[in-house]
Amino acid sequence: MERAPAGQIRWTADPRSPGFPVGITEATIHALVHSFYGRVQQDPTLGPIFAARVDDWPEHLEKMCAFWSSVVLMSGRYKGRPMPVHARITELNGAHFEHWLALFRATAAEVCELPAAAVFIDRAERIAQSLQMGIALHRDAVESMRQVETEGGQ
Amino acid sequence: MTYVVTENCIKCKFTDCVEVCPVDCFYEGENMLVIHPDECIDCGVCVPECPAEAIFSDSEPQATEQWLEINRKYSELWPNITGKIPPMPGAEEENGRPGKLAELSPEPASEKVG
Repeated sequence: MERAPAGQIRWTADPRSPGFPVGITEATIHALVHSFYGRVQQDPTLGPIFAARVDDWPEHLEKMCAFWSSVVLMSGRYKGRPMPVHARITELNGAHFEHWLALFRATAAEVCELPAAAVFIDRAERIAQSLQMGIALHRDAVESMRQVETEGGQ
Repeated sequence: MTYVVTENCIKCKFTDCVEVCPVDCFYEGENMLVIHPDECIDCGVCVPECPAEAIFSDSEPQATEQWLEINRKYSELWPNITGKIPPMPGAEEENGRPGKLAELSPEPASEKVG
């Protein structure tokens, strides 16, 4: 399989990607992302959090498709900073992440064949853990700054 | 939880990893790249992309305390790199040469002249 020259978006799945051996394609990702976020919008816990921050759902869904394409197909389509985005959501806690993952697992199991679902779920769990650690560090840093400013004001 | 760039990157610096990273958490030194451990989202996409196979999860034995520290320290000092650049001259010969740690340059990548 030809590798795309550096800087170009790959439209064929990279055979080294985790999604390739289990037959994940952009179409799979599209189906999963659209199904999942449709449920998120209806979810009593997660819905309001997203509703407060997402104005353009088609744009957001395209971004999420690009993200999963990057992660499971190595396409390089997504470039962004999810850490600060999540850190800014001050009410976010571990229960939200668990809830998100439960909904994601259920959706992946319905939309995908089992091996493909397992790849999505594995990455989602790893990324969720990584995001939670990043958020905790970010909040510690913000809290330290606040303490320094409070003490410095005397 | 993070991934860690290790010795075989030194003096190769292929930078294929940068191209696939969704969160641009690579930082560029003179002869090596490192991953910022707090920015990495642990997706693992960079691992198969590296021709030098220099990237490991922090749960693997190759990601020693020393390499974790090197990645943390230099990711705070070096500039962010967001796109692939040509490998270093002689990268193919340097790929797999042992003992490169002693040759790790602490210097950031030089300013690119436009």
